Amino acid sequence: MKMRQIKPAMLAAIAKGGKNTGSMRHLKTNYVRMKRLLAIVAWAVLASACELDNYDAPNAQLSGNIIDAETNELVQQDIIRGTTIKLIEHGYDPVQPQYLRVKNDGTYANTLLFANTYTIQPELRNFVQVEEQEIQIGSDTKLDFRVQPYIRVKEASIVKEGTKIVATFKLQQTVPEVVSRIGLYADAEPIVGEPIRDVAAEVQLGRTVDEDETFTLVIDAADNRAVLKSGNQYFFRVGALINVPEAKFNYAPAVAITVD
Amino acid sequence: MKTRIFNILLLSVIFFSGCRDVLDLRPLDKLDGETLFATPEGVRVYLANLYGQLPIEDFSFGRLGFNTANQNTGGIAPATQTDDAANSEFSHLLDGGGNYQWWDPGYKLIRDINLLLETIPTVSSLSDADKATLLSEGHFLRAFTYFALVKRYGGVPLITSVQQYTPDVESLKVPRSTEKDTWDFVLAECDAAIESLPASRTEDNRRATKWVAYALKSRAALHAASLAKYWSKAPLSGPAVSQGLVGLESSLANHYYEICIEASRKIMDEGGFSLHKPTPASPEEATANYMELFQNPNGATGEVIFIKGYTNPGSSGHSYDFWFNPNQTSDGAPHPGRMNPTLDFVDLYESYSNPGHSTPIVTTTDGNVTDYNGFNANKTYLRFDTPYDIFKDKDARLWATVVLPGTEWKGKTIVIQGGYIQPDGTPKIETKDQITVNGATYYTYGAADWTNYSGFEVYLGNMTRTGFSFKKFLSPNPVPPNLTYSTTDWIEFRYAEILLNYAEAVVESNYTANGAQAAAKDAINAIRRRAGHTVAIELNLENVLRERRVELAFENKRYWDLVRRRDYHEKFNNTIRKALVPVLDLRVSPAKYIFIRKNLSRENPLTFPTNFYYVSIPGIGANGLVQNPQY
Repeated sequence: MKMRQIKPAMLAAIAKGGKNTGSMRHLKTNYVRMKRLLAIVAWAVLASACELDNYDAPNAQLSGNIIDAETNELVQQDIIRGTTIKLIEHGYDPVQPQYLRVKNDGTYANTLLFANTYTIQPELRNFVQVEEQEIQIGSDTKLDFRVQPYIRVKEASIVKEGTKIVATFKLQQTVPEVVSRIGLYADAEPIVGEPIRDVAAEVQLGRTVDEDETFTLVIDAADNRAVLKSGNQYFFRVGALINVPEAKFNYAPAVAITVD
Repeated sequence: MKTRIFNILLLSVIFFSGCRDVLDLRPLDKLDGETLFATPEGVRVYLANLYGQLPIEDFSFGRLGFNTANQNTGGIAPATQTDDAANSEFSHLLDGGGNYQWWDPGYKLIRDINLLLETIPTVSSLSDADKATLLSEGHFLRAFTYFALVKRYGGVPLITSVQQYTPDVESLKVPRSTEKDTWDFVLAECDAAIESLPASRTEDNRRATKWVAYALKSRAALHAASLAKYWSKAPLSGPAVSQGLVGLESSLANHYYEICIEASRKIMDEGGFSLHKPTPASPEEATANYMELFQNPNGATGEVIFIKGYTNPGSSGHSYDFWFNPNQTSDGAPHPGRMNPTLDFVDLYESYSNPGHSTPIVTTTDGNVTDYNGFNANKTYLRFDTPYDIFKDKDARLWATVVLPGTEWKGKTIVIQGGYIQPDGTPKIETKDQITVNGATYYTYGAADWTNYSGFEVYLGNMTRTGFSFKKFLSPNPVPPNLTYSTTDWIEFRYAEILLNYAEAVVESNYTANGAQAAAKDAINAIRRRAGHTVAIELNLENVLRERRVELAFENKRYWDLVRRRDYHEKFNNTIRKALVPVLDLRVSPAKYIFIRKNLSRENPLTFPTNFYYVSIPGIGANGLVQNPQY
């Protein structure tokens, strides 16, 4: 264990504080005692902190995008319990993998890595798995993943009709599994999604979908006044979940609406 | 010169005495197996230690571990980490790395059990029959221990002999067995236990019997079967899955259901057990009988199969009375009122007029029971003369499990009120206030002083926030206001659970041999009859699961039921548990009570991530085991 070094200036500040204790009559004695005590404490701290923290600071950064290989658009994600990317640093055995979460918009970044060779692969995800790859991460390394999302949410429209928020959209599934669930989610924060929402309108689908089929989901603010207050702005987002083990939701971008 | 001679003599004494066996004496602070197990007392001492370590999820079990009644748990009981109840102060669902971590203590206990199993055959003073009985008891303890491990971690290393220390640490590392092999090991250990355990005991009757081993087998097989059937509701991936260390093939479900059916049926047909006071004359009598069963299980010898006792207040007692009395009957305990049964749970009970269906509490003329947005002046609320009339006709067990608003407990009327509607229609709900109407003063929480009510105020977290308090297992007598002063005994296995295991296994596997369908229907209806129901209901999954949940409520089964049936992540997905707020309606004279179904106050939406179906394995850097998914 390495201890943080205590700087002389900090000790001086502590000593200064010590002056203010005690009545006028005992001030001097107290001060002397305090100084002695502080000297002992300072000695103990400095003596035990004899080794400098000699690790370098993290010196490498990795960032990039999750891109739909067909449409060249970013693949929308969840910020909690969403897509994760696994990084295994070379040169250590055993090695604990590092995981990094992708942001809502499909970008990701870890700016506190150490320059080294890593094996990288998405782990939990809302797209078909891609091969793991070795990557030399150094200063400001970029890596994009071009992927096939399980589901593309197409022609999404979220509009206000009175107190109701009405979402219509189509789904294009790229794998043969059934679509287990679709949902319209509302939250006060733009990071809205299936895991982060105050209100949800969901349908358990459990079947495959045709890309021409239009889905409609409605949240009526009037039925949810405990959370959707009239005149406040909320974020709404539609998504769909494929029935693949550990799959994450696929989404359209969130829309901000002030509800009535 | 004299000194030199003396020194030589002294050295001679020292060196020559070293030639004798002074260092080969038996140590005085340790016993070997031969001596310890030579007397019945020695055997009892060793076994008492094993039983004390046994992972029984009783009153002293919680997120801090087993036997933690003397610790400040904040009153976060396992039930408050489910949909059955909320803690009055903390919305606590999850702990890092998975709930109820229990690894090191498990393997320490397994070592102690293996030591017993290896020593017993070498003790010359024991008869062969005694040896066989003790070995079977050891197998029971090992089955119980591995069951606790496999339901947490999936497949685990099966260590069946006492490992000897060697500098070659690698040779001591035992890899994980598959989840299937681990379940099969647990069931085989149950069989080894059944083989030579006695059917009953005249002394030490809290030690395992053949029927306790059958009961464990029934419970474990049902768990494995459900897992096989429902694993695909929340499938996981990764090395632990591809190597079979977690997960069971769905084709195994019926195999395990049948094992559960056979073990349960054995107890039903040959165990001589019965429900405690099975035919009450009225629901009131049923309520009294059901409470009595948990206040003193020792008086219900027909129903209890396995008891864990509590004897010494202040050292080996538990702390249920300390944490869970309503505020008004805390007897001076500083943090009572912590167990708040939810409206979701109260809704579940049948009413006597609507057999075979959960009867949610209807509060408005429109009958809407899905609106949780709080008081709405445009709605017409049903008005009641008392705060408990609304629960009339509900299952006797609700009245025995939950302290309902305005009912008596420990000689006091428990006041649970969340507010009032002023004569002008202004609602004052979950806020402290008072008003004088026609010379009479009304208080939002039902009384002026905090010692005289038990609900809704945010005072020290001691008031229920669901509208319900808790009384199953609590002593009707005063208990000193300190941790570990409760001595009500815990029933680990009782006959009703066996009937419910049987019914669930029969329904889930559609099993028909030996008149199983009729026997399963009789099983759930016998339990309902004991609760005062007189109309039999059909055998179906919904009826069986509802019956299980209300009958075994707060017996720490719910958490594992949600896990094994893979219901947790569906029940808890941004979920806010619900409250029922009794409110005094001053718009009418005399004032009446109305009730508001609403989201629990001070509750965050709770989510159960699917990787929590398995707990993370600690220390994989050193023990080299394959980690569970997503840790």
